[in-house]
Amino acid sequence: MFTIAFKGIRQYFKDRTAVLLSLLLPIVLITLFALMYGGIGKKEKSRPISLLFTDQDNTELSKEVFKTLNDQDGMQLFSKSYGEASDLIKKGKNTAVLVLYKGFQDSVEAGNKAPMELFYDEAKEIEMGLLQQALWSNLFGITMKKGIKGKVNTWIKEKNPDLSDAELLDIQAQVEEQFTDFDNSDDSKEMEKKSNLPMTAIVSEEKNGNLGLVQAIAGTAIMMLLFSVSGSGASLLKEKEDGTFRRLLVSPISPSSILYGKMLSTLFMAVLQLTVMFLYSWLALGLDIFINLPALLLMILSAAIACTSFGIFMATICKSRKQVESLSTLIILVISALGGSMMPLVFMPEIMHKLAVVSVNYWAIEGFFDIFWRQLPLSEIYPKMLVLMGIGIVLTSISVISFKRNLLKLV
Amino acid sequence: MLVAKNLSKSFKEVNALNNISLAVQEGELYGLLGPNGAGKTTTISILSSLLKPDSGEILYQGKSLYQNLTESKKMIGVVPQEIALYEDLTALENLKFWGTLYGIKGKELQSKTEELLDFMGLSDRKNHKIKTYSGGMKRRINIAAALLHDPKIVFMDEPTVGIDPQSRNLIFEVIQELHSRGLTMIYTTHYMEEAERLCDRIGIIDEGKIIAEGRLEELKKSSKINEEIRVRFTNVQKTDLSNINNHFNGQLLIHENQMVLSTSQANTDLPILIQMCTNANLHLENLQVKSLSLESIFLELTGKSLRD
Ligand SMILES: Nc1ncnc2c1ncn2[C@@H]1O[C@H](COP(=O)(O)OP(=O)(O)OP(=O)(O)O)[C@@H](O)[C@H]1O
Ligand SMILES: [Mg+2]
Repeated sequence: MFTIAFKGIRQYFKDRTAVLLSLLLPIVLITLFALMYGGIGKKEKSRPISLLFTDQDNTELSKEVFKTLNDQDGMQLFSKSYGEASDLIKKGKNTAVLVLYKGFQDSVEAGNKAPMELFYDEAKEIEMGLLQQALWSNLFGITMKKGIKGKVNTWIKEKNPDLSDAELLDIQAQVEEQFTDFDNSDDSKEMEKKSNLPMTAIVSEEKNGNLGLVQAIAGTAIMMLLFSVSGSGASLLKEKEDGTFRRLLVSPISPSSILYGKMLSTLFMAVLQLTVMFLYSWLALGLDIFINLPALLLMILSAAIACTSFGIFMATICKSRKQVESLSTLIILVISALGGSMMPLVFMPEIMHKLAVVSVNYWAIEGFFDIFWRQLPLSEIYPKMLVLMGIGIVLTSISVISFKRNLLKLV
Repeated sequence: MLVAKNLSKSFKEVNALNNISLAVQEGELYGLLGPNGAGKTTTISILSSLLKPDSGEILYQGKSLYQNLTESKKMIGVVPQEIALYEDLTALENLKFWGTLYGIKGKELQSKTEELLDFMGLSDRKNHKIKTYSGGMKRRINIAAALLHDPKIVFMDEPTVGIDPQSRNLIFEVIQELHSRGLTMIYTTHYMEEAERLCDRIGIIDEGKIIAEGRLEELKKSSKINEEIRVRFTNVQKTDLSNINNHFNGQLLIHENQMVLSTSQANTDLPILIQMCTNANLHLENLQVKSLSLESIFLELTGKSLRD
């Protein structure tokens, strides 16, 4: 069994392309995904959303709206006439234009509904979603405040017709101060406290690494691992195709030790691959792998066991290497999509979360999230490891049975 | 050494072996001769425990193969028909791996592999990957891999297919050397010349049955025919040849532009054959009369050619 395992490992290292593919490709992909999810360079904000702005009112307030929105992180405004703007949107260059109609300031100060409108490209759903959020929190903040200020002033004047102009100004200044105070709190947390919808981040960005980075590493590493273990499992069928399997069977070793040997070498490669992935993530992408090293090592081992058993399972149920390749590619893509290897589960509908539990990827990725993101202690992560090992045991048992049954066909 | 009794084996529809019995003496080189699909490989697979027969029994030195399978396996060496080596490992690594499977270790493994590489004349190439080897070299390593554990009996399944005559001769020398050292061997082939040249005793197998068995001389003696006439033409007209064949009771073997007639009366048959060929507008290029070969015996027994 160990002889076969060593031979497998030796063969693996002899095949430079395979080594490169199994180590380098995931590294490249992880880096790519990390860039995509904005995982690298935490301080650097993602590309700002651009919004076109048509100011037909041209008043102090309309300019303030422009400034406030433009000052938002992640938002950039461009002044354009309505004609130009709608052209750009139609050409697909921009997502939307915010038009402030004439009489915007007057209406707002009178406390009426503000005359403004957002024209947008319905096809750009994602950008619109982000834009809407940004607009809601800011635009309505400004207009409401102005509206309320105007109403308060009018109300004070009406109720106290005998107030002197100086007194009136004084009161107005005080009201203004209150609002200014409100306005100047650019600390978003302060804002949240004052807004009527309290928002509290349970898991905060500052607490640790980076959601995108963990997603990129865990998601990619598991998916790539599945690919390489199914390749390694397929080498069992290569033995059959090359006739070396016959030779193994006439030798005095037991048939099962052929299977266990193959599993052992695959497991070794799986652990190696994951370890290299995390070392790379630590050195190049700044993932703090020492945050919970024992948990990480155990998680790597359990994920490797689960993936290895998947590879062996594919090899024992398939008849030829071609079949392993096509069938496992299909299955890997499906379970990777389900399990959140390609796209974080948070972006997916509820039903997908339920389906995800059938996927090896899900348990492994969630496990890595537990370690790096939620920073749970080992005592709370181990159930996920048990699930992974359970998957390993079940798939391995099926493999052993089907291997023994199909032994004759292998000859 | 080896006694196999009434072996039968079917794969779904194919009846691959049909009540085969054979006995091989210690030190004997036994040839199993038969065309493609005759059941040679199946016989070897069963004798080497790779396949279980549907019925029959196999005894090595009087003990059943399955009585102590691990011990039995250590007695047996198998040279598979297809080259069964790891292409991406070197010859040395391959041999060491296969040796380790038989529990050979350390110094012993080292000296055994060196000795065999030397025996095969491949010492200088031992650190090259198998995939860089020529067909003949692969074949030699394929044989060496079966000899590492000093087996008592070695099965060689067509060890010379697909290689050039020179490499083939090298392999013959290896086999003759092993034979002279007293190794018991079963050698399958569909080449008559090989069986004639190498084997002490020959079993002719066809459609899962052994249809004749014995020493070459015994086989020849038992045969009615004793000569063969080989004729080559410069042109061939297929349609006309069937009536010639009929005249000689189907004992005419036609292969491309060559004809082989097996006969017991060459003196009378030869003029007739030439006459008929001339009538058929065939132009004679070359003519030979030889004493009997296995090929003609096979033709006589089965009514078909060994090759295709
Ligand atoms: N695993 C198998 N499944 C089904 N049929 C088989 C199997 N192995 C052999 N056969 C059939 O059994 C018959 C004997 O095959 P075998 O391989 O023993 O012939 P052979 O004499 O070795 O031929 P060759 O000279 O081509 O090697 C053939 O008809 C073959 O198709
Ligand atoms: Mg064969």
